[in-house]
Amino acid sequence: MITSNLNLDLIQLKALVIKEYREAFRDKRALMVALMMAILAPVGIMVMSKIMIEKLVDEPPVYVKFIGAEHAPKLIKHFADNNLLDFVDVPNDEKSAWEQRNIAIEIPEDYAADMAEGKPIKLHLQADFTDKAVQPPVRRINNAVRNFSLSIGYKRLLLRGVDIRLLNPVKLVEQDTAKPDATFMLISMMLGIYLMLAAFMSGLSVAIDSSAGERERNVLEMLLCQPVSTLKIVLAKLISASTVAVIGVLLILVLTSVSVGFVDLTKIGATFSLDMSTAAVLLLLLVPICFFASACQLFVAFQTKSFKEAQSTVGMLIGIPAFIPFVVSMMDDRPQWLNWLPIAGQSMIIENIFKGVDVDWLAVFATSAVTIAITVALVLALAKKLKSEKVVMALS
Amino acid sequence: MIEVNNLHKSFIDKKDKKNTVKALDGLSFTAKDGEITGILGPNGAGKTTCLRTLYGLLSADEGFATIDGISVTENPLAARAKLGIFPDKFGLYERLTAYEQIDYFASLHGMSGKTKKQAIEQVIQDLELGDLAHRKTVGFSQGQRMKVTLAQALVHQPQNFVLDEPTRGLDVMSTRILRNHLAKFKAKGHCILFSSHVMQEVAALCDRVIIVANGKLAAQGTPQELCELAGEENLEEAFVKLIGSDEGVAA
Repeated sequence: MITSNLNLDLIQLKALVIKEYREAFRDKRALMVALMMAILAPVGIMVMSKIMIEKLVDEPPVYVKFIGAEHAPKLIKHFADNNLLDFVDVPNDEKSAWEQRNIAIEIPEDYAADMAEGKPIKLHLQADFTDKAVQPPVRRINNAVRNFSLSIGYKRLLLRGVDIRLLNPVKLVEQDTAKPDATFMLISMMLGIYLMLAAFMSGLSVAIDSSAGERERNVLEMLLCQPVSTLKIVLAKLISASTVAVIGVLLILVLTSVSVGFVDLTKIGATFSLDMSTAAVLLLLLVPICFFASACQLFVAFQTKSFKEAQSTVGMLIGIPAFIPFVVSMMDDRPQWLNWLPIAGQSMIIENIFKGVDVDWLAVFATSAVTIAITVALVLALAKKLKSEKVVMALS
Repeated sequence: MIEVNNLHKSFIDKKDKKNTVKALDGLSFTAKDGEITGILGPNGAGKTTCLRTLYGLLSADEGFATIDGISVTENPLAARAKLGIFPDKFGLYERLTAYEQIDYFASLHGMSGKTKKQAIEQVIQDLELGDLAHRKTVGFSQGQRMKVTLAQALVHQPQNFVLDEPTRGLDVMSTRILRNHLAKFKAKGHCILFSSHVMQEVAALCDRVIIVANGKLAAQGTPQELCELAGEENLEEAFVKLIGSDEGVAA
């Protein structure tokens, strides 16, 4: 059975990887976790977009308690045109909600007389202005009243032969330079953070199971007694855990690009599509992250004393990388070195991709290279650690 | 051939230096090819520590171990390639079938293709594992687990076997299978080293017995020689006497 060294290496590595794959893909629960994340993402994005669209597009009816409505029928009609309705007409299922918001407008008795004489009229709007649910209706009432008031004012000036443009000596012209893609920032940013999380979460249970779990089941000791280098053992476990992570990320990308098609974003003037090339760039960015994450998890899990300790410690460590994209997205002043950092670098590039900015390939390669370098260092360090009796026997 | 020379190993408690356990204290012995060598010793005598040092899992503070002349510390991979190991603590990959598990270990020893397949079929036949081979190992009985572990240790037909209490939990039939198996390998000139508590088994199977107590060699010889040395009729009495008093540690 004399085989050349390279041949032996290949046979061993193949056997190790096949075994890790078999164990990982037969562990239904671990796979469920990975797939759950993938399926939840597109569902979440669809629901969120639907809600956002509804909020932005619709002007849902607002029910206001009018006091003295009979004095100003034209005003009431103007309100009704803007979907600001009388509380009397509120449907039963929304009654309690509007009762609680309790928005009231008082129209004075001498409204008609004052209007005819051109005297200023005071309408009283009563509501709890600190209540979040009340703020949008109040804003709409404000607008409606201002518009109503302006239109009457303009008519009065016109009747007196005054050019109404005199009323607006300075006019602000707003030009929105945002690309249409960027208007859908929030959802796309969430997707970016979610993808990063998935890269970390999906392979997690496989990584812990194949390290601390194997030691607890007494199979690691047997493996380390075999004529295999620890580097190959670590590599096989890394490959298996990160494969699951990559599958998780891939599923999210595919399912999201499919599901976004079902949401009509044009209603709010936004287009968001995850086309093939964008998805490919995202995958290219996230694959090194998957390996990096799995390497971190294996490194930590092997040094814990038990499976339980591994689960809690690695679970806590997940929080740190998951937070980085959040923090980065909130930072206004980003130092240069952030570009190089794993996770931070990638999350900034992903953010730019979703903003519609062209991909900075140099940054992509730089951050990927740093990520891969750290991963390699972790693997080598872990291979060395596995030779020490402390790690093998889980001694303190 | 397995040679252990002047092994010292202490487990040091970092917080309490007095709490140090001296597991091995200058243990030396040789297990020759074509012989079955038994290591006997009370609990905590250092048997498992000695064997773990032999696999290269633990590093000795002093002394060395060689397998077929290859130093375990200097060239662990080459030394392990000549070893078949049945460890003290063992588990099975419960999501694999018995066959896949044996296949895995055969591949780790560099076997492939037809030779591997034949070797696996052979070991499965020898250990009468045929019915279990394609079942997942979860739910296997203690004896069945033992057999799978043995099969994975023996599949590559190593020159040297090291077995740490291989018969615990085995029924009479399985013990006999194992015994016959070991005798067959001995006849083929392999070196077999195994530790045990069961005196009858050691007496029946071993050509040489090494008695270990307190991390040191207490006595060695054929079962017959040990009985004579202690002046007792059976091995059990001889064993108790030999580890109990230092007077017996002549040889």
